[in-house]
Amino acid sequence: MNIQDNYQKNKKNIFFSENKNVENHRKKLISIFENDKFDKKNNESLKNTNLKNFFDFKYKYLVPEEKSVINNHHDNSYSIVCVNGQCSSFKDDKIQITKIIEGDYIDFSKNNTIEKNDHFVNLNSLFLNCGFKIIIKKNNNIKIKISNIVTDDELTIFQKNNFICEEGSSLNLIEEYENKNNSTSNILNVIKLEKNTQLNHFLIQDNSPSHNLIITSHSSCKKDSTYTQKVYNFSEGYVRNFHFSELIELNSEADLQGIFFLKDNNTSNNKTFVKHLAEDCKSNQVYKGILNDHSKATYFSNTYVDQVAQKTEGYQLSKGILLSDNASYFSKPELKIYADDVKCSHGSTIGPIDENAIFYLRSRGMSKIAATKILISSFINEELSSIDDKQMSQIIQKKLVRYLSKVK
Amino acid sequence: MFLEIKDLSVKIENKNILKSLNLNINKGEVHAIMGPNGSGKSTLANVLAGKEDYEILNGKINFKDNDLFDLNIEERAQEGMFLAFQYPVEIPGVNITPFLHSAINSKRKRMNEDEIDNLSFAKLLKSKASDLGINIDMLKRSVNVGFSGGEKKRYEILQMSILNPDLAILDETDSGLDIDALKIVTDGVNKLKTKDNSFLIITHYQKLLDYIKPDYVHVMVNGSIVKSGGSEIAAEIEKEGFQKFQ
Repeated sequence: MNIQDNYQKNKKNIFFSENKNVENHRKKLISIFENDKFDKKNNESLKNTNLKNFFDFKYKYLVPEEKSVINNHHDNSYSIVCVNGQCSSFKDDKIQITKIIEGDYIDFSKNNTIEKNDHFVNLNSLFLNCGFKIIIKKNNNIKIKISNIVTDDELTIFQKNNFICEEGSSLNLIEEYENKNNSTSNILNVIKLEKNTQLNHFLIQDNSPSHNLIITSHSSCKKDSTYTQKVYNFSEGYVRNFHFSELIELNSEADLQGIFFLKDNNTSNNKTFVKHLAEDCKSNQVYKGILNDHSKATYFSNTYVDQVAQKTEGYQLSKGILLSDNASYFSKPELKIYADDVKCSHGSTIGPIDENAIFYLRSRGMSKIAATKILISSFINEELSSIDDKQMSQIIQKKLVRYLSKVK
Repeated sequence: MFLEIKDLSVKIENKNILKSLNLNINKGEVHAIMGPNGSGKSTLANVLAGKEDYEILNGKINFKDNDLFDLNIEERAQEGMFLAFQYPVEIPGVNITPFLHSAINSKRKRMNEDEIDNLSFAKLLKSKASDLGINIDMLKRSVNVGFSGGEKKRYEILQMSILNPDLAILDETDSGLDIDALKIVTDGVNKLKTKDNSFLIITHYQKLLDYIKPDYVHVMVNGSIVKSGGSEIAAEIEKEGFQKFQ
């Protein structure tokens, strides 16, 4: 089934299909799909991707029977169980949660300047069937934990979420993805940080081999705001992490970090892209991967520095350990700099585990497997030891131990 | 015989390094091997410790009644062999305390001894570090990361004193040490010497042997031991160099 037929057939279940502006936008998207050659070599969003799986799919969406749950723990923390991409409405003096509205869709479609050629984002816009909007009200400091649950097999979730941090607010956001069915979740997070805000965003991904997770985020930072994102990918199924940040006003920062742990035949595609569009902004893009068996990964990092963005600091780093001769990790850092007073760097090191270090540890009496495990742990030690939240640190440690138990 | 190396020939990447080398070390003895650069001294140390880059062409090594080639790297260490590296490896993110604790317990396990608990190990480490003039704060750092040459060598000796090996191989432990550090390191070695353990000291210079008195000195040239004797050989080398042995 082609994309157009698929859309027409399921249109009545897709958000905003009665809106003319939305329909016009979607017609353009369909024409992009119809005219594109799906060139895997040159389109980074398609590398290592099974096109048939994702673009020739059977649409299926179920409105969850059980409503999502929102708990306010009275200590400025909230926990949300989001079911099939749906979240109940909620409002108090600190946060407001609603469904996404047509205006959010149109707003994003108009202003999406970073990546026009991303077919997964286009697919999300075309088949949008769920999503929510969370507003953190002015000058509040809160913590939200969202568990993203998919209830049934073979669902195709196209979810769009909006997060807005109003001026002076601070948010610690933990999102968990742990699904054991063979559904596909295509999620787009649009994140807006107003002046003097901070968002620490943690994504813990741990799906079963048959579950596909495609997650994209677009964050924009106004004056004196900082967006920090840390992705921990333990999934045994396919995961795509594409994260974009725009530093649109003075003295804003984006820190995009990720660690992935792959084994068997699993694949993970990763991309980070930071656009410096104002002076005195900082960015950091660091991804580390551990790959075993026949697993494959890609990581594309990009820093764009506009001519007005003087005094920019932008760093990129990619590191990988290949535990097997059959594993592969393709990394491509890019810098486009149009300002002359900047500090930017990039680096990439991928290879097998250091044999000299293994010999050193074994010569003290440690077994080869214990030495390998201690070196894997040390490779990501900096990232793990920087987790302040004790509960989250324990969760990550537990998942790491599970991954290491399979390393032979 | 504690360590018996018989007719050992070893190559790496089509280059013969050790050629029919013979060496016997008894319990309680200190042996020194001296030789020019490229004579195969470090290769011998690495082969004894089990480094897998080398191809054994011929020969046998017995260590404490074991055929050494039947033991892998960690089994050799657990049996009581210790190599103090010429160039200790930097391992970011690995703290020395849990690493050494795990190492000592793997040795005790092989010897059917009880494991040493966290508290006792911390006390042992602290006391040994203090003997070697190692600051306690340095024990919180990653293995060898950001250490000076002298600090790395002191760390090697600290590890040796914790693991208390039966045979310690010191591969150019004196290189990169100033005179004060050399004294601290050699004091540490001398404190460990008993009638039950043995040392194989690899060095270019006599200086180290002024502080650690060897029972035997061997001259190694072109992959073989060409002369063996007492301390007088070291003095001879210091005076005349290695030229006359080549």
